[in-house]
Amino acid sequence: MAAGNSAALLSCQGVSKYYGAMAAVRALSFDVRAGEIVGIGGPNGAGKTTLFDVIAGLQPADAGSILFNGEHVITASPQELCHRGLARVFQSVAAFDSMTLRENVVIGAAYGHRLRLMPPLVFDRGTLARADRALEAVGLRERAEVPIRNLPILDRKLAMFASALATEPLLLLLDEPVGGLNPSEIDRVMKVVRSLSGRGLTIVLIEHVMRFMVQLCARIIIMQHGEKIYEGSPEGMVRDPTVVSVYLGDATARRLSQLVAAS
Amino acid sequence: MRRDATIGLLALIVAILVPFAWPTRYVIEEMTLFFVWATVVTQWNLVFGVAGVFSLAQMAIFAVGGYATGMLGLYLGWSLWLAMFAGGLAAAIFSALVGVACLRLRGAYVALLTLAITQTMYLLIITDTECFYMEGVTCRNFTGGTRGLTGYGDFGFHQLLPYKYTAFGDYFLALGVLCAATIFSVFIIRSPLGLAFQAMRDNAVYAISRGISRFKYQLLVFAASALFTGLAGAVYAGHFRVMGANTLYLSQTLFLLSMMIIGGVGQIWGPLLGATALMVVDEVLKEFVEWRLLGLGLMLVLFAVLWPNGLYGGLEALGRHLRPRGSRQLSAIQPKEMAPAQK
Repeated sequence: MAAGNSAALLSCQGVSKYYGAMAAVRALSFDVRAGEIVGIGGPNGAGKTTLFDVIAGLQPADAGSILFNGEHVITASPQELCHRGLARVFQSVAAFDSMTLRENVVIGAAYGHRLRLMPPLVFDRGTLARADRALEAVGLRERAEVPIRNLPILDRKLAMFASALATEPLLLLLDEPVGGLNPSEIDRVMKVVRSLSGRGLTIVLIEHVMRFMVQLCARIIIMQHGEKIYEGSPEGMVRDPTVVSVYLGDATARRLSQLVAAS
Repeated sequence: MRRDATIGLLALIVAILVPFAWPTRYVIEEMTLFFVWATVVTQWNLVFGVAGVFSLAQMAIFAVGGYATGMLGLYLGWSLWLAMFAGGLAAAIFSALVGVACLRLRGAYVALLTLAITQTMYLLIITDTECFYMEGVTCRNFTGGTRGLTGYGDFGFHQLLPYKYTAFGDYFLALGVLCAATIFSVFIIRSPLGLAFQAMRDNAVYAISRGISRFKYQLLVFAASALFTGLAGAVYAGHFRVMGANTLYLSQTLFLLSMMIIGGVGQIWGPLLGATALMVVDEVLKEFVEWRLLGLGLMLVLFAVLWPNGLYGGLEALGRHLRPRGSRQLSAIQPKEMAPAQK
């Protein structure tokens, strides 16, 4: 990974978001270089999902600046950010439930890839090919014609991945991609994320399943009360006294340090 | 697509044969009115069913089409044939403005605002008492007020057709508008645009996160659903030779809403089926006028609670039941283009 010398793809500086008097995100700064996988962890209510909402344009930031691909995007709308190459996978399963899996992915391919002044009369070949490639990438191409509401939870999660990929993003935001999945399902998602990263996609992920996070991420940020309390390697994280005391706990820290040492 | 064409063609053949089979003025009048209402519900379905925006402004849009047509005929002396299209256009512009007004609202609040718009329009018309022009010694209001807007003439079928067939003119005009409106709505629902509307309905946040601008597509769906609604208003105005505020009664809005819900909201043929069913029920209940609203209300509640997919959804479920392998083919993507994936 030739990350060190390339400029940051995403750069957050002093980003804050308040709900009334409460700071959901407070003066948070971090960079994500192209090709990296960065993990964001922390207790419930630490402000992780709010941070994603702010980056993706769903919630306006109250302070700070966000640079994405060299441009200021602090006031950009979600659809604008999507067209610029930032795609998000939601925490709870989001789907267009009246449609087939393929139609779900085609939405991303048709409307998320670039700005269209007017919708087309029929989907062009390029759009359908983008959708097919995205379905292929998550291994769901055979199920394309199934109504999405009939699919199991893992497939519905992967469908969100596929519709994000169909927009051909530069940066993928994954909000708890393996929450609620069993160990073998987690391994399947891990494989997908690895292969996407292998193709050069930059990924920022929020996750509570630390096994998933430490195996995928070279760099981890831990948040608490809207602030960053740790940023660094997985090895450093399991030894960091603050992180262990407020988030991981001794037992998990020990188990994770074995995992980190093994991998 | 083929099934849509078959259903549509069969319905069209029946509609063409009716006036020849029962050439009474009563049947033809009732059917003409049915075509007008059916046109409105097929278009309302685009906003309400397909895009999931609970707008109750459809009759206001209808009235804009009707009044604009009548006024252009009365004050500017336009032929109704020309005024009709201006009416459709006026309705589309009005509707797009309603769409913008509703942008920041969700769910039931959209229903409240749009209902308020319809009611405001009603009040503005019936409280219009100022003299706009004098007809002899009679004072006429700009909107026609409580008396309704008259004096703009009709589509002129009396001169064009032999006496026995004059009613056929409006009948086939209304049928033509309904056909065009139905083809238009099927086309929209099956097109990429329809898929974007459904995406907004299914999950608004997910849709904007995948690049679908709420502003643009809400504007488009309101404008698209208004064009033929306005034309239906124009046909109504031309047919009755009077355009009145009674089209804006809440009971009229509810009647059409019931058609849509009982037929099947969001389904392609649901609204037409519902319109047919309710016209028949209404005909039967005419003997018991005092029970009409109660009957409608009961049916609405029963369907909303027990059969939310409406008659069409029920028929489809029955079809699937009888033919287990028959897969649903509700897709904006043509099967031909899917072929490579199925290898």
